[in-house]
Amino acid sequence: MRKKYDDKLAVPMSSMIDVVFLLLIYFIITQRDEISEAHLAINLPAPGSAKASENKPQLLEVEVFEKQYFLRGTSVSLETLESTLNSFRNPDLTVIIKVSINAKAPDLVNVLDLCQGAGLTKLNVVTLR
Amino acid sequence: MRNRGDEDLETPITSMIDIVFLLIIFFVVTAAVDKDMVDESIMLAEAKKSPAVETSDPRMVTINVNQRGQINIALQPVTLNQLEQMLLALKIQAGDSLPLLIRCDGNTKFDYIDRVMQRAAKIGLYRVRIAAMVDG
Repeated sequence: MRKKYDDKLAVPMSSMIDVVFLLLIYFIITQRDEISEAHLAINLPAPGSAKASENKPQLLEVEVFEKQYFLRGTSVSLETLESTLNSFRNPDLTVIIKVSINAKAPDLVNVLDLCQGAGLTKLNVVTLR
Repeated sequence: MRNRGDEDLETPITSMIDIVFLLIIFFVVTAAVDKDMVDESIMLAEAKKSPAVETSDPRMVTINVNQRGQINIALQPVTLNQLEQMLLALKIQAGDSLPLLIRCDGNTKFDYIDRVMQRAAKIGLYRVRIAAMVDG
């Protein structure tokens, strides 16, 4: 008689455990979703480091203005900039990104993103005044 | 007799519900603590090519810069001078390799970001990351 009750008791427990695990999985998944952030690493110019970079032949300068990008003095679209950056594909290439103070965050993020996509990791951000 | 058996049966389930709710509350609270570092009002710029971060350095200092250039760390508003003091104190604790993360709004002018970066560089923290949203 006692044993029969124990058997009945086990059924709601296991379904409840199922519900608990579903809840747990739900919370873990929703938590992961919110952290879909990329962290774009850049280097800031250290004081006195300007001289060291003079001798390096592999240097690319990109100038960023508000919704405008300049490559070696000529205005380029984001697509042109992307294909140019992709044509380098050289992890040793140092990219110097000169950003105007009037530019907005997405302008910089776009360039950093393209560099990341092209496998360029040596990114230096300089401010244009 | 039947009635008595039912009463015996109810007890473990209620205590189990208690435990379940405690677990849920625990997870909700710990998730909320994680998010406290992040200013939800900031809409990050979008990055299409970059991979989402899997793990980040636990020492990472998150600096939120909103579109009006106001700075806060863990939702605590700070001025540039206070930020500099904080970073200096953290640098002494954690060393030169202390990573900084700037979370800036999609409408933040680079001018404001630059001010933060200038202070970071002044202290000797040259490794800065800029947060962007990964779609999908």
